[in-house]
Amino acid sequence: MKLPTVQFTKEQEMFREEVRAFLQEELSKGTFQTKCDSWLSGCDANFSKLVAEKGWIGMTWPKKYGGGERSSIDRYILTEEFLAFGAPVAAHWFADRQTGPLLLRFGTEEQRNFFLPKIVKGECFFAIGLSEPNSGSDLASVKTKAEKVEGGWVVNGAKTWSSNAQHAHYMVTLVRTEPVSEKKHSGLSQLIIDLNSEGVTISPIRYLTGEHHFNDVFFDNVFVPDEMVVGTLGNGWAQGLAELAYERSGPERILSTFPLLNEAIEELKRQHNLEGLAEASKLVAELWSLRNLSIGVAKVLEEGGEVMVPAALVKSIGTKFEQKVPEVVRLLLDVYPQLQAEQKMNRFLAESILHAPGFTIRGGTSEVLYGIIAKGVIAG
Amino acid sequence: MSEMKDMIVDVVEKIFNDKVEKETVDLLEENTWPQHIWDIMFENELQQVAVREEHGGAGGDYEDLFHLYRLMGKYAAPIPYVEHTFANVVLENANIHPMKELTTVHLHANPLAIVNAKVSGALHYVPWARYAKKLVTLATDQGKEFIVLLDLKDAQMKHETNVAAEPRDHVSFTDAAVVTCQPISQEQLVFLQNLQTIATICKMTGAIDRAFELSVQFSKEREQFGRPIHRFQLVQQHLATLAGEQALTAAAMENVIARLQQGEVHDEVAFARLKIEDSSRIVATSAHQVHAALGVTHEHRLHHYTRRLWAWRDEDYTGRFWKKELANRWLQSSANIWEQLTTKKHMEHI
Repeated sequence: MKLPTVQFTKEQEMFREEVRAFLQEELSKGTFQTKCDSWLSGCDANFSKLVAEKGWIGMTWPKKYGGGERSSIDRYILTEEFLAFGAPVAAHWFADRQTGPLLLRFGTEEQRNFFLPKIVKGECFFAIGLSEPNSGSDLASVKTKAEKVEGGWVVNGAKTWSSNAQHAHYMVTLVRTEPVSEKKHSGLSQLIIDLNSEGVTISPIRYLTGEHHFNDVFFDNVFVPDEMVVGTLGNGWAQGLAELAYERSGPERILSTFPLLNEAIEELKRQHNLEGLAEASKLVAELWSLRNLSIGVAKVLEEGGEVMVPAALVKSIGTKFEQKVPEVVRLLLDVYPQLQAEQKMNRFLAESILHAPGFTIRGGTSEVLYGIIAKGVIAG
Repeated sequence: MSEMKDMIVDVVEKIFNDKVEKETVDLLEENTWPQHIWDIMFENELQQVAVREEHGGAGGDYEDLFHLYRLMGKYAAPIPYVEHTFANVVLENANIHPMKELTTVHLHANPLAIVNAKVSGALHYVPWARYAKKLVTLATDQGKEFIVLLDLKDAQMKHETNVAAEPRDHVSFTDAAVVTCQPISQEQLVFLQNLQTIATICKMTGAIDRAFELSVQFSKEREQFGRPIHRFQLVQQHLATLAGEQALTAAAMENVIARLQQGEVHDEVAFARLKIEDSSRIVATSAHQVHAALGVTHEHRLHHYTRRLWAWRDEDYTGRFWKKELANRWLQSSANIWEQLTTKKHMEHI
């Protein structure tokens, strides 16, 4: 498998500077506080509004839907700057990363006209409804059911691990629109469900720290109009797979603990600790290598290429790297992990350690990814 | 980028597929080497790739040469191609005419002293010295560094090998005549340091390519419990690990070469070198585990690649060298690590 090397253009370098200057300013104004794993745990609608005002939500989408028609490499730069600064981008994250591209690829013109401009303005957030209480890694076994009625569908069932659904307006939900047949991947469809509909109940699943970003979402006879079906009925599995490539190869699979690494290296410099810096350099080398791969996948995605296997590689190795960062840092410096700590490093360390177990689970467990990669490799 | 790349890569792969059998690589352990492969390479002017036109070069640039180095690793080619061609790269960078006769190179340490135009001192583990006619290395004269070309018939030699059975000889000189020498600036030396490290990265990338390939192939052919072993999930985990490290090292190599071609290479050389260090360990471990008992026999060719990885990672400018180098650079810089990673730097040293 050969991925392209990407050299940033002068314009792209300038764009990076622009994003960086914005983040620097908002950080110093106190608009946000740097956090590890901010793309999941940093949900701030006001910050998303600021990002929208810059034209940075849906920046790659066509202008007629309010997008900026920028390249996916520009978006890559934007995303990695957000993550390196640990900025609170969770509110608009899924709509920008997944829902927009999904609608552009499979949605109807009405759906695009209705949703995309609102997403771009930072006024419409999406959640993702894939896993269910009894369907985790074996996603095709989902049981949430949609039954045909006049003018639409009635949905019954439950989704789980839905990040930030409590702040989202809609959910792209994978449901069974036909009874289970021999082929369990068929008969699945994607519906956009208005989370304010009657019959929807959202209840928190507290993360091990007590934080609330995951949710159970229950559907009790929820009516979904026909025009909220995404793409082709029964084609939900294939459409969902296309989304996963975006979900698995981005910088958020490498940089979730970056604020800690950055702070640790600055501290080692202040201490003139050459030996510590030399040790830390191995982590930076890993980060550099993963970033090359991730950017290469972004480029192939933009050109419409097949990236299932390399995207799985980025996620499985990248998330392992994210987990390794706190374990190396705590042996290099005198630190004490504490979520409320005044010292940034201690806080970042606690955030990294406590969020780490999720890295290799969310968006496809490493075990599932290894299976995908191995099958790809064997098939040649 | 030179358009020749794909063409010469094809030519060399064809030669190696035809000529480099396992037995040919094993010859090294019997203290001999396949001169005929060297001669075929010569007939195809492959020793002249990236040599300057005015010196009789056959076209091509460093990028082409580096892709051939990857093939030397991929085929465990038992010839001193990297050493000879890189010796010529060093000579040309020092404004010395490149050599046609077999020449080797030793750059990462500088123990030789020039006194009254004569060279004395000892070098350890010089690659292929016993077969080479000339040696390109560093020497110091009154505190100034020189690239020197020495005649190996003036040397005392003790034959040694690395853990892959490749010739690595101790070479010493006592008042030896200098064939040619040119002063070299710190900037030029840093440039050569980068180039030699990239050369090692390429060789190691090739060895990783092959260790991965052999593991995939073996997992399809080997059956246990009535099915090919790639059907077992714990074996699949090794295959996924190998695929990941292969993809990472290949991308690292391509990225570092792309940066070099644009004259922007800096910390990337160190990053790629440190990463391949890590990948070699992971790849050797998983490849051997997949091959199980068969892979640890001399009979199986997996060891041609894993032994080379274990040897090469401790040669030339090592991971140890580069991590210290990075630590020093960062200590002297006010830019944080994110700025270091994302801000293009034009190579300050050339």
